[in-house]
Amino acid sequence: MATETHGTVETTEAPAHEGGGGLPQLQFQHWGGQIVWLLLIFAVLYAVLSKVLLPKVSGAIEERGAKIAGDIADARRLKDEAEVQARAAATEVAEARAKAQKTAADAKAKASAESAERQAKEEAVLAEKLAAAEADIQAARDQAMSHVAAVASETAGAIVEKLTGKAASAAELKAALA
Amino acid sequence: MADPMHQFQVTKIVELPTVTVLGLPIDLSITNSVAAMLLAATLVIVFYTLASAKQAVVPGRLQTVGEMLYGLVDGLAESIIGHEGKKFLPFVFTLFALVLFMNLQGMFLVFTATSQLAVTLTLGMLVILTVVAVGFAKNGIKFFKLFAPSGVPGWILPLVVLIEIVSFLVRPLTLALRLFGNMVGGHVVLKIFAGFVIALGGLGVLGWAGAALALTSVVALTALEFMVAFLQAFVFAVLACVYLNDVVHLDSH
Repeated sequence: MATETHGTVETTEAPAHEGGGGLPQLQFQHWGGQIVWLLLIFAVLYAVLSKVLLPKVSGAIEERGAKIAGDIADARRLKDEAEVQARAAATEVAEARAKAQKTAADAKAKASAESAERQAKEEAVLAEKLAAAEADIQAARDQAMSHVAAVASETAGAIVEKLTGKAASAAELKAALA
Repeated sequence: MADPMHQFQVTKIVELPTVTVLGLPIDLSITNSVAAMLLAATLVIVFYTLASAKQAVVPGRLQTVGEMLYGLVDGLAESIIGHEGKKFLPFVFTLFALVLFMNLQGMFLVFTATSQLAVTLTLGMLVILTVVAVGFAKNGIKFFKLFAPSGVPGWILPLVVLIEIVSFLVRPLTLALRLFGNMVGGHVVLKIFAGFVIALGGLGVLGWAGAALALTSVVALTALEFMVAFLQAFVFAVLACVYLNDVVHLDSH
């Protein structure tokens, strides 16, 4: 009998809650369970999110920021290094060019000095030869001139002998020709 | 037409014992509402476990969405509370994520936990009790300065204090009712318009035109409800931040 009354109580109660045109949300017999469960769920979710998952998410975000900042710093450093190297290379090139120019100038100077020396030597030899030749010519002319005198005296002696019939002495010839 | 309120009916899925606390019987049975909350929390955990699994420098789709939601709440806490906002970020984020997932779940499954006043009121009370706890922990007895703004002439102060106290006390109610009302309203309207499609579709050719119109409305409203689902979670998080900021920066109040 007790169970029967219990059953009737339940059956009369249930429609009273569900019907009546009221909001189902205002069936207060369901509130306690929802509130307790929600608090429990919220606490667990809060613990899991704040202790485990959110630090991972923010960690990834921070890591990305740090990586980007680091990469930019690296790139800037490399750029600076490259600039320094480029500057060094430019000075090296300039040095090498200067050196090359100096070497070329030296070589040119040496070559011209050598050739000048050689020319001078050659000229000296030529001048010597020229002087010798001139001396030879002079000697030949002198000799020729003396021959001319002898030929003249001979010719004069012969002419005198033909004309007078008697030979003129050497002294007479010499005095006549002088 | 089907009863548009039937979708809010709480039913038991797994019977669990009723415990009595302070003379109040609390039925711990797993109802569809509790199941929806459990599922939402589980999905939040699963989603963020997957989203934060790789911690890739170049994030994939899931990680991008996870970081976007996190960045959204982080930006809120930072811009509203200031640099102390980081401390409250997990709390605000848990609220936001849970409300968002419960709202969105209602768009896909049959039951919306946030359309239960018991749920939204609990969340509202949770926010305001946290605010009170933080307020007392940070300011001690000076917490009551919250109700007496500086720079108010003496003769008007009692009135202002009264208004401030009332406005503080209705905060959990407004938090709860805003979310509750939006979710219930949206789902009821969706149900009614969907009901029109069936009812008008049975009335012949003329009815089909009406049914097509109703169907178009349902599609449009569904899109709107997705936005509302996100927006209400966002508003809940914003207001939680605003209320927390009140007690964190009580001196400048």
